[in-house]
Amino acid sequence: MRDHSRAGAVNWLYAAPAMLFMGVVSLLPIGYTFGLAGEYHRLAVDTRFWPVMRTTLSLTAVTVALELALGLAVALVLWSPFPGRGLARAAVLIPWALPTAVMAMAWRWIFNADSGVMGDLLFRLGLVASPQVPWLADATSAFWAIVLADVWKTTPFMAVLLMSGLAAIPDELYEAAAIDGAGPVRRFFVVTLPLLKSTIVVAVIFRAIQTFGLFDLVFVLTGGGPGGRTQTIAVYAYDVVFRYQELAYGCALVVAMALCLVLMTGVMLGAARGGKAR
Amino acid sequence: MLRRLVLVLLAAVLSACGRSEPDDGMIHIRYLASPDVGGFSKVIIERFERAHPGLKVDMIEGPAAGDARENMYSTAFMGEEDSYDLAYVDVAWVPKFAAQGWLLPLDALMPAAELDNFLPGDVTGSRYQGKLYRVPIQSDGGMLYYRKDLLAEKNIPVPRTWEELVSAAKKTRTSSIAGFVFQGKQYEGLVCGFLELVWGFGGDLLDSSGNVRIEEPPAVAALSALVDAIHVDGIVPQSVLTYQEEETRNVFQEGRAVFMRNWPYAWNLMQQEGSPVRGKIGIVPMVAGPGGKPAATLGGWGFAVSAYSRHPQEAYAVAEFFASAESQKLAFFKGGILPSRRALYSDPDVLKAAPHMKDLGRVLAYARPRPTHPRWPRMSDALQMHVSAALSRQEEPAEALRAAAVEIRAAARR
Amino acid sequence: MRPTVRGQALFALAVAAVAAWSLAPFLWQAITSLKPAAEVAAVPVRYWPSTLDFSSYAQVFEARPFATYIWNSVVVGLGTTALTTVLGVCAAYAFSRLGLPGGRAALIGILGLSLFPGTVLIVPLKMLAAKAGLLNTRSGLVIAYTALNLPFAIWVLKAFFDRLPKDVEEAAWLDGLSRWQTLWKIVLPLSAPAVATTAILVFIFSWNEFLIAQTLVSRDAARTVPVGIAMLSGVTVYEVPWGQIAAAVVVTTLPVVAIVLAFQRRIVEGLTAGAVKG
Repeated sequence: MRDHSRAGAVNWLYAAPAMLFMGVVSLLPIGYTFGLAGEYHRLAVDTRFWPVMRTTLSLTAVTVALELALGLAVALVLWSPFPGRGLARAAVLIPWALPTAVMAMAWRWIFNADSGVMGDLLFRLGLVASPQVPWLADATSAFWAIVLADVWKTTPFMAVLLMSGLAAIPDELYEAAAIDGAGPVRRFFVVTLPLLKSTIVVAVIFRAIQTFGLFDLVFVLTGGGPGGRTQTIAVYAYDVVFRYQELAYGCALVVAMALCLVLMTGVMLGAARGGKAR
Repeated sequence: MLRRLVLVLLAAVLSACGRSEPDDGMIHIRYLASPDVGGFSKVIIERFERAHPGLKVDMIEGPAAGDARENMYSTAFMGEEDSYDLAYVDVAWVPKFAAQGWLLPLDALMPAAELDNFLPGDVTGSRYQGKLYRVPIQSDGGMLYYRKDLLAEKNIPVPRTWEELVSAAKKTRTSSIAGFVFQGKQYEGLVCGFLELVWGFGGDLLDSSGNVRIEEPPAVAALSALVDAIHVDGIVPQSVLTYQEEETRNVFQEGRAVFMRNWPYAWNLMQQEGSPVRGKIGIVPMVAGPGGKPAATLGGWGFAVSAYSRHPQEAYAVAEFFASAESQKLAFFKGGILPSRRALYSDPDVLKAAPHMKDLGRVLAYARPRPTHPRWPRMSDALQMHVSAALSRQEEPAEALRAAAVEIRAAARR
Repeated sequence: MRPTVRGQALFALAVAAVAAWSLAPFLWQAITSLKPAAEVAAVPVRYWPSTLDFSSYAQVFEARPFATYIWNSVVVGLGTTALTTVLGVCAAYAFSRLGLPGGRAALIGILGLSLFPGTVLIVPLKMLAAKAGLLNTRSGLVIAYTALNLPFAIWVLKAFFDRLPKDVEEAAWLDGLSRWQTLWKIVLPLSAPAVATTAILVFIFSWNEFLIAQTLVSRDAARTVPVGIAMLSGVTVYEVPWGQIAAAVVVTTLPVVAIVLAFQRRIVEGLTAGAVKG
């Protein structure tokens, strides 16, 4: 019997085309970017860099936290079987599947100052004084508009990840807890949450990395305004390269971005492992 | 079954690699344009193609937003593509494009004597470091629109100074009619409007030696005036902070504002049948501040020849044709496009159809270009950001302009 | 514990709320697209069009070569899916079943690569594409998208292959089948669900992608739909035609919505597989 599972360099032939593609299209450009980068000293003096980083980090923190909470709620609602669950899941998945840039146009319309439906709805609910609210003209409301649009899009993804974690929890644990007299709320905190921890950690790290590099949504919805207050690092790097034609500094920004991501991942992994040790 | 699926998919891949461009043996001159208002470009192109058999002009209608088209041009030129032979460029893009070497100098092709026929502001805006990079086609300058009827009702004369504007607005505004609207969103248009006022107050962004002067008292006064207009005097609604040109035009056209700062394009649209303000509007140069003179920010567009074009001579021929007096007159009558040729502002046909052109000519005489610096986008962004921050009360006017000045100096130095 | 009527009602309400929140922006775009032009920006906001007016759709197809864009998106999507699936299956099989010296390191490298946001790549990618003559071509997009999707595809497929019982393959090897034959004749039919899921997810990604499409393609002939929407303009130089944009958004997103509705379960499984492995 031939044992094809024996290690051999020839097996690489199967993976070679894929590796070639990834190498040329992803690795090479990353290397290029690192090579083109220069003017690192400007990172220290650039007055736009730190506000942009602050915006990016706060956006990441707020969005991921909200996604986690909402995603958990959605996961709990949608994972036990009920009639019509398939349809409900499909509806919930749609935000994630739609193109970000395209839906950002839709959100711009919803948040339009004169004819936007968001202002009108809140006015009818008595929550604002007038139906015409310049959402995207105020730094704070523009920030929350982006948060809303991003959370809307990514909650389904979180929910799916969490559902897979929920599926892995054995029923016996719930039954044991119920026998001990624990109500549904207590069961959640005693059984569900601890066992979901590893899934939550993975989901949070993954989503944090993605949100850190957020581009499409911000670019189309606010362009980084008003007053540059919603500019994320990815949008800023894009502007530096394409609008200002400062290629070397733009690449330096990208390198800084990559380093931040690595740092962030390290910190989060460390925190998670520390928690586990306890 | 699986094999068939694989074959179908492979066929799709192969077809994806197929040629996606037609080959008809003609020379194609391509450029990216804004939406063809009134269809005048198509008519001019038809005339050109009839006079030049073998040449085809492909006008690609791009997005309305100037920034988006600038991006598209930049992306193409950065890749040294020959996607566009001509670039229909805003006056603000000329320094940046020329500094990158993306445009061909046109001095050899356009005689100096010919240039005298164009508005001086437009010609200045087409030059970079002394060389000509653009054939000016369309002139543009910001101005103040006002409601003749609402002012006449209260016997208020047309304001010439900022104070007069504020008092006139206060007297004529109502709960449903705002006093004054302008483009307050954070984008290039904001800088245009703001600079007009700065110049009107006697200040400047960059002086003739290249020093940054934007943090000095006149400019601060101009910015404070705008901030107060929104938050203290209440003559400007807060929603202007999301307005670009069309939003202000819509508000004014629906009769919901007494004064509006906008470009000349709005005039024709507001005088059409069905417009609620038809026959009720007038135009004057933008108001000046205490001790200043009225100013207008120069806009305007023209054709530049791409350095990567494979047919530069033919491309220039197209540009020249668009710049001819007949073409400009046609563009004016069909699309409301302001000519860049001086003579047309006193042309009898033009004045008969549009007597306000005389006033417009006067406004354009005040038109000043924005600084012709290759780093303009960064400087403009810095100014946009801080002015926008001041207007939304995130920063005080003085500190906003000081911060902007720091960034602009840093950008200008490199 | 028997569910109470009140409990059931609350549950149904929760499900309805989640579904409504997920679908609302899309539905609002659909409603906006069907309004007559004058009602689109009407103040106060109209929640239902007075008549169903399809002129926005007609205008979208007239104003820009939208049919071309859709065709391009379809071709690029199918091409990417085909290429990614083929290369991904081979590579994932190699990583999972065939001994690969240095394979583990390569996998970690691949995962690391996939975490870089797109902004990092575009400048050098554009230069590479220009040198290779692949600008403004659909093949250029296909190559780029394939490379970007391979990490995810390999990850998902490998997770699936890992879970397949080895005896089927060992039986095939006993019969003297080569590696190649084993993969295509035995393993693949068994993995049809995972492959289908991967294909669906890759197609969705390719359909939605914006930044790279905008960077690599500047000519209409090869342009894809999300970028095409950004090109929509109105009657005047400055107008934003919200009705037309809504129509374009609906046209762009309807195929994705249909795919999600049809394949909801597969998508959930596919995303889950990625998470479980993590």
